Amino acid sequence: MNAAEELKQALPASVVSTGMQVEKPLVLVKKEDLLEVAAKVKEMGFDHLSVVTGVDYVDRFEVIYNFFSYGKKENLVLKVVLDHEAPEVGSLTSLWKGADWLERETYDLVGVRFTGHPNLTRILLPEGWKGHPLRKDYDMSVEQFVTIGEDGEDIVSTDGSNLLRRK
Amino acid sequence: MDPVTIDTTKFRPVRKKPETALEKLEDTGLISTVLAARERKGLIFLTTVDQVFNWARLSSLWPVTSGLACCAIEMMAVAMAHHDIARFGMEIFRASPRQADLMFVAGTVTKRMAPRVKQLYEMMPDPKWVISVGSCANTGGPYHESYAVLRGVDNIIPVDVYIPGCPPRPEAWLYGVLQLREKIKNEGYGAKWGLNK
Amino acid sequence: METEELLINMGPVHPSTHGVLRFKLRMDGEIIKECTVVMGYLHRGTEKLAEMKTYLQFIPYTDRLDYISAMPNNYAYVKAVEELAGIEVPLRAEYIRVLTVELNRIVNHLVFMGSLLLDLGASTAIMYGFREREKALQLYEMLCGARMTFSYFRIGGVRDDLPDDFMSKLNEFIKDMEKRIEDYKGLINGNEIFMMRMKGIGVISAEEAINYGMTGPSLRGSGVNYDIRKIEPYSIYPDLDFKACVRPECDSYARYMVRIDEMEESLHILRQIADTIPKSEVVATQKYGIAPLTGMPYTAQTYFPRIFIPPAGEAYSRIEAPKGELGFYVVSDGTTKPYRVKIRSPSFCNLTAIPKMVVGLKIPDLIAAFGTIDVVLGDVDR
Ligand code: SF4
Repeated sequence: MNAAEELKQALPASVVSTGMQVEKPLVLVKKEDLLEVAAKVKEMGFDHLSVVTGVDYVDRFEVIYNFFSYGKKENLVLKVVLDHEAPEVGSLTSLWKGADWLERETYDLVGVRFTGHPNLTRILLPEGWKGHPLRKDYDMSVEQFVTIGEDGEDIVSTDGSNLLRRK
Repeated sequence: MDPVTIDTTKFRPVRKKPETALEKLEDTGLISTVLAARERKGLIFLTTVDQVFNWARLSSLWPVTSGLACCAIEMMAVAMAHHDIARFGMEIFRASPRQADLMFVAGTVTKRMAPRVKQLYEMMPDPKWVISVGSCANTGGPYHESYAVLRGVDNIIPVDVYIPGCPPRPEAWLYGVLQLREKIKNEGYGAKWGLNK
Repeated sequence: METEELLINMGPVHPSTHGVLRFKLRMDGEIIKECTVVMGYLHRGTEKLAEMKTYLQFIPYTDRLDYISAMPNNYAYVKAVEELAGIEVPLRAEYIRVLTVELNRIVNHLVFMGSLLLDLGASTAIMYGFREREKALQLYEMLCGARMTFSYFRIGGVRDDLPDDFMSKLNEFIKDMEKRIEDYKGLINGNEIFMMRMKGIGVISAEEAINYGMTGPSLRGSGVNYDIRKIEPYSIYPDLDFKACVRPECDSYARYMVRIDEMEESLHILRQIADTIPKSEVVATQKYGIAPLTGMPYTAQTYFPRIFIPPAGEAYSRIEAPKGELGFYVVSDGTTKPYRVKIRSPSFCNLTAIPKMVVGLKIPDLIAAFGTIDVVLGDVDR
């Protein structure tokens, strides 16, 4: 029995389906129950959160968590599906501290909100950047410029006249 | 018919080996119009203010450390023993722009970094020069289509020499430096400051 | 004593932040109370660009993530795509891949050693590090003509076979390197000043390191015996004899020593490869994607023409890069371009632990601790 089925047995109400992703067990989880499932996953010995990936599928968002267990040397993939209008899911920062920046990055680039995150701000792009670049509907034709404000923080605008030498 | 013999010494005048300090200076070609009064045993020499200034400037350019991306690693390689930029008197990379007169823009200038690069340039005292290194700094390079990259550093600061490459080889880098020296040699700062009167 | 709180800004242009990173430090006298990391000054939008490029066109971009060790980046990406498409790679190609990756590990650790010591104020080490790096780069130039940005891997193999005199040059390099590592050990390891700067600085316990998602040498410096080459063996690593270098001390010195030991292990691997490399093709002999033009000789380019279409699906694949776990999450929708590529970069995740590590230290110690995490900003910001 692999980890995905084990999880399904433990929490049958929260697991939508199980399967395989190449050679890794994959579990599709209800988004409301993510925290509960994650706590169970941690209990099962998956102590390393490898990566948090957000994917925009135009009609929905998917957030994918890749776990690894140092003790059992096993992989596990968790997946939640979020609706496109208001993508929101619980944050795993209370369980894995490494999730902090990974979630912030997903918020920054894909625009998925993680509720309960202690500091959900942009991380790679400056605060005030319009849009989330990894969404499929991100408008690449709008140029955004950054200037430095009074206090040394970034100010984003579409007007680069005090930065550029010529128009 | 008799074979024609050509006396090559007539065509190629034998160059005198520089011996005195003054002759050696003349031989470098940096101070080209040294009108040394040889009759007076080299006690006086004449030149222009520009040439002396330029010679001093180009012989010890101090770059500011402004490595931005991959090209910065190549910048380190240029500064190290194998390629040895110290041969051109510019091994002293200054961390502070106030003590530098040359800026290598080595790497990708992102939108977020652009105002900082500009600020760095503005903090450098005059006279100052900029070498833009790598395709990224020249035009945006491989990241030309990206939403977060400025397409060419010459959009924000004036550039003297562009070195293409991704990253440019150290040899290309040194060639770029030589080009800048060539440029400085012909600049006329003295005239600008009224020193030619 | 009552002191006033002071806010100090370090970076983004600071010689010891290895690029464009910024720390915001809240100080109590000389002691760091809180450290905030501000990044993104080198965010180049690589993941978005991946969606606009074909599978093959994206390979050069992977070079530019962690630009000190580009081969492992190439490898992680092509491995993910190969996993997705189920491509078998010929044995000789695997040997060449591991050879280049291990050589790159040595290069990476040389630059690490040099820049760490430069930050600590000892400027000789970087001269040594770059001297040896230059020799390794000459080997790479023989392979692919580039010094840093190789793009040498292809999906299903590598671009070209090894040149004829490569192996003799490699053996020379190995012999030379053995002596050099001894030199470094003699010069640096027991150095009193160095020990004072490194011992007991930037301590992070094993549990915390795991919780923060640290990987690679930085994690092994905390006594966790975790090396993907050993735990999830891929490629030809199961056939090779090497050990994962672990140190139990959890401090900067341990992280430094792990890397020095790793250089020796990599040399050991290179020696084995030089002895046992088999003869075969260097690109996959199955045909994927669109069939090559008839009458063309089978090379990497014809087996994998510019247009390569993997089946729809998702795959996450990771390797042990010099800096830690490097993974690519590739989502394909059955077209010529990836639907989404997510890069799990080791530098980004290792850096997460810095704010925790440096509380209670002084600024010079921040530089020491940060130096031993060994981040590259291209990898952090992507
Ligand atoms: S030009 Fe190439 S090597 Fe240089 S910074 Fe840009 S991507 Fe990196």
